[in-house]
Amino acid sequence: MLLAVLIANSEGNILVERFNGVPAEERLHWRSFLVKLGVENLRGVKNEELLVANHKSVYIVYTVLGDVSIFVVGKDEYDELALSEAIFVITSALKDVCGKPPTERLFLDKYGKICLCLDEIVWKGLLENTDKDRIKRLIRLKPPTDF
Amino acid sequence: MAQPLVKKDDDRDEEADYSPFLGIEKGAVLQEARVFNDPQLDARRCSQVITKLLYLLNQGETFTKVEATEVFFAVTKLFQSRDIGLRRMVYLMIKELSPSADEVIIVTSSLMKDMNSRTDMYRANAIRVLCRITDGTLLTQIERYLKQAIVDKNPVVASAALVSGIHLLQTTPEIVKRWSNEVQEAVQSRAALVQFHALALLHQIRQNDRLAVSKLVTSLTKGTVRSPLAQCLLIRYTSQVIRETGVNSQTGDRPFYDYLESCLRHKAEMVIFEAAKAITELSNVTTRELTPAITVLQLFLSSSKPVLRFAAVRTLNKVAMTHPMAVTNCNIDMESLISDQNRSIATLAITTLLKTGNESSVDRLMKQITNFMSDIADEFKIVVVEAIRSLCLKFPLKYRSLMNFLSNILREEGGFEYKKAIVDSIVILIRDIPDAKESGLLHLCEFIEDCEFTYLSTQILHFLGNEGPKTSDPSKYIRYIYNRVILENATVRASAVSTLAKFGALVDSLKPRIFILLRRCLFDNDDEVRDRATLYLNCLDDGSVTETDKDVKEFLFGSLDIPLTNIETSLKNYAQDPTEEPFDINSVTKEVKSQPLVEKKAPGKKPTGLGAPPPAPTSASDAYERLLSSIPEFANFGKLFKSSAPVELTEAETEYAVNVVKHIFDRHVVFQYNCTNTIPEQLLENVTVIVDASEAEEFSEVGVKPLKSLPYDTPAQTFVAFEKPEGVPAAGKFSNTLRFSVKEVDTSTGEAEDDGVEDEYQLEDFEVVAADYILKVGVSNFRNAWESMDPDTERIDEYGLGPRESLVEAVNAVISLLGMQPCEGTEAVPTNSRSHTCLLSGVYIGNVKVLVRLSFGIDGSKEVAMKLAVRSDDVNVSEAVHEIVASG
Repeated sequence: MLLAVLIANSEGNILVERFNGVPAEERLHWRSFLVKLGVENLRGVKNEELLVANHKSVYIVYTVLGDVSIFVVGKDEYDELALSEAIFVITSALKDVCGKPPTERLFLDKYGKICLCLDEIVWKGLLENTDKDRIKRLIRLKPPTDF
Repeated sequence: MAQPLVKKDDDRDEEADYSPFLGIEKGAVLQEARVFNDPQLDARRCSQVITKLLYLLNQGETFTKVEATEVFFAVTKLFQSRDIGLRRMVYLMIKELSPSADEVIIVTSSLMKDMNSRTDMYRANAIRVLCRITDGTLLTQIERYLKQAIVDKNPVVASAALVSGIHLLQTTPEIVKRWSNEVQEAVQSRAALVQFHALALLHQIRQNDRLAVSKLVTSLTKGTVRSPLAQCLLIRYTSQVIRETGVNSQTGDRPFYDYLESCLRHKAEMVIFEAAKAITELSNVTTRELTPAITVLQLFLSSSKPVLRFAAVRTLNKVAMTHPMAVTNCNIDMESLISDQNRSIATLAITTLLKTGNESSVDRLMKQITNFMSDIADEFKIVVVEAIRSLCLKFPLKYRSLMNFLSNILREEGGFEYKKAIVDSIVILIRDIPDAKESGLLHLCEFIEDCEFTYLSTQILHFLGNEGPKTSDPSKYIRYIYNRVILENATVRASAVSTLAKFGALVDSLKPRIFILLRRCLFDNDDEVRDRATLYLNCLDDGSVTETDKDVKEFLFGSLDIPLTNIETSLKNYAQDPTEEPFDINSVTKEVKSQPLVEKKAPGKKPTGLGAPPPAPTSASDAYERLLSSIPEFANFGKLFKSSAPVELTEAETEYAVNVVKHIFDRHVVFQYNCTNTIPEQLLENVTVIVDASEAEEFSEVGVKPLKSLPYDTPAQTFVAFEKPEGVPAAGKFSNTLRFSVKEVDTSTGEAEDDGVEDEYQLEDFEVVAADYILKVGVSNFRNAWESMDPDTERIDEYGLGPRESLVEAVNAVISLLGMQPCEGTEAVPTNSRSHTCLLSGVYIGNVKVLVRLSFGIDGSKEVAMKLAVRSDDVNVSEAVHEIVASG
């Protein structure tokens, strides 16, 4: 299960937060844990360079893209490598929507589209679409080209 | 001058960072949402409002029931718009709002219409939304469409239906299971993602049908799997099938191993890793099987991607626990990971190296770790400390550098858990490596001089009181202990007083000076400290409290042989019912009520070195000794020599779970049967085990301790004791039958019927073997210990062990036959070696030290020969060890 996708700005404020199968009372804990992880480790990291951590049996893969940090959290079949696949799809889709690694402003300007992309990529904790070109079409309700 | 400039910059920054959601407020956005009701819909504006609503929801904002309903109804109006972008937003918004069952009806018709739309993308999205918000009744109505969708030509539609199926399987499995034909068809889809989703769903539908899973794996491993993600799933399902089928006993081949091995050459790293991981996790994996997997993981160690490095080192770390030799080839790559930017990777690398390293690399490794420790978090440090502890137990000769390392890090900053891990490790090393005792105790003394944790200070003081007086110069510890009385809080002061008294009781030369110190404690401002000082002064001094010196020691060092819970109950009863008579501790029952057993500890949880304060057990053997001495029938059996690990006498998941622990005394053995009743509707009473010892001639039964009552899920024990010839390692086989009276229990009220029925339950047999009479006791320097023993006690002989699968197997067989402690890491046999020497040490019943040197050789036809040299304090024991091997 892909437990969470979280996107924050460089100061650790949450921009997007989507949890799946995480009890409401644990979400705050996860949010602060992830933000702290980012603050401690993401400084000076290059765009899209993946960092990895684990907390008990849960894996976390996270990275920086422009002004935003992206975290994905998973367990069981969503181990570090599956998560890196998921985060790769997310970063590609973000770059596609924003045209470049986004500033916070640009990210917020494209907020609606980004929500749609995330909806296509992760559906209730399962990875659904992995190809950025297809996602780009799907959020405009266009059928995939390879069909 | 500079000020206006700064201000200007600030202004500009603010403008650049101006957020479109600045000052966003829920109430205002809800007002804005009224535009959804406009007769002339402005699609662009509506999309903007939905974005704002999504932003609020993603920030953790919640809508009240009324607000959510209002927004939901308004959003449903947007189905009238033909704007595609807006429609996509509407689908998302409905999912986010997750309307309640009574509201769903409003959108179902619109969604059903979309589901049958000619536009594929409407269909896909409508399926996703409907499945998210639907319940069982609606699902039966749309089931037909969903089945069609699964085999739809458009991969997006098929995936939407399949992923919906995976979610719905949790809530309405009976419906989803009816789709297996369509899902089966989708598994053959040419679209990569459809195949991935179909495979996941099909496996979930059939996961309880072993044969079906096996068929699925067989057909797919031969066919084409299009996406790496699906390939990973297939590898996981394949390992499951391998686990359930086992190795072909005739050819020794493992089914599907070739498939896993071929995946190691796949082009996707994800697949390679998954296959390597699956191979390392195979049960009883051989070196030949393991090698190719280790090779690819080794390559990943030097990958530029942190995720790959992490995955590889994490897997190798696990392999190192069971096959340390297999991982040694990766040591050089692993060492370079110690300086990895990612601390998780560095910690895993270090702990792996600590598991695989050899004696000569310890010092170099410690140097590298010292630099590393300063910049990692406590949780990582704890892992490293635990790894160092195991390393030190493996290479006792290296205790000096490892102990120094532990004492250095003890002085540095750190939280409670970290400090506790270090202290526990030092205590364990002191216990297991006699040479490390004095330096270890001094390190602990220095630590309590500046320890901020009361718990740790009291634990160390307790330990110091037991161990300090037995050292060569006990006086040097007094200063540290008395400093606590002057400087610390009341709890620590009270502990220090008890520790001083222990020194006074055991070291006569210190007694007068201890008295002076204890008298000073009489003026302490805490009553517990004063009371303890008064009590100890009286016991040690004039014997007014205790009669003899032995009593004093028993009082100070002995443990309370009454379970604390029993005292608690008795005291509560006493307090409830006030009387003139003083409380009599002898009136408290000593019977142990379903004592939690040490072996029941969660797996992986290491016993702490210090244990809880007395009278809690400090180790398994202490706990057993306490338990047995509390039973009057066994109290005169003398000192417990050894307790075996529990031997299971029932299969897993049977009605009654029983295991036995063999307790060996000089002239007796006691079998402790740990019983658990796993049936909630039953209460067992008068539980005993009938033991048939006809195949154990030297044993005669002398006592039975039945178990009065065994309620559901509350483990308890019954015991049977046998007499045997003194000091002789008598062996034999015992057959067992559990006998009891069973009563029906009404689970709603928890009450049992009055009448019980007698019944019996057959248990497995077990044996008492020679190894039960040898204690595993290590020596820190085998060569010194060997040479200090009389060469005349040495007995040497040679044995043929017949054909063996490998040298490792032969070495392990002899170690477990003798039940002795392997020394200096010699139990690990390097791969492919043709000869090996293994050193063992132990204590034979009667407290006779014994050392064993085993030299093995294996020839081309896998015949193993062994030379056995034994030295011991008693030549008869040397001969006895040979007899054990000759008859084993």
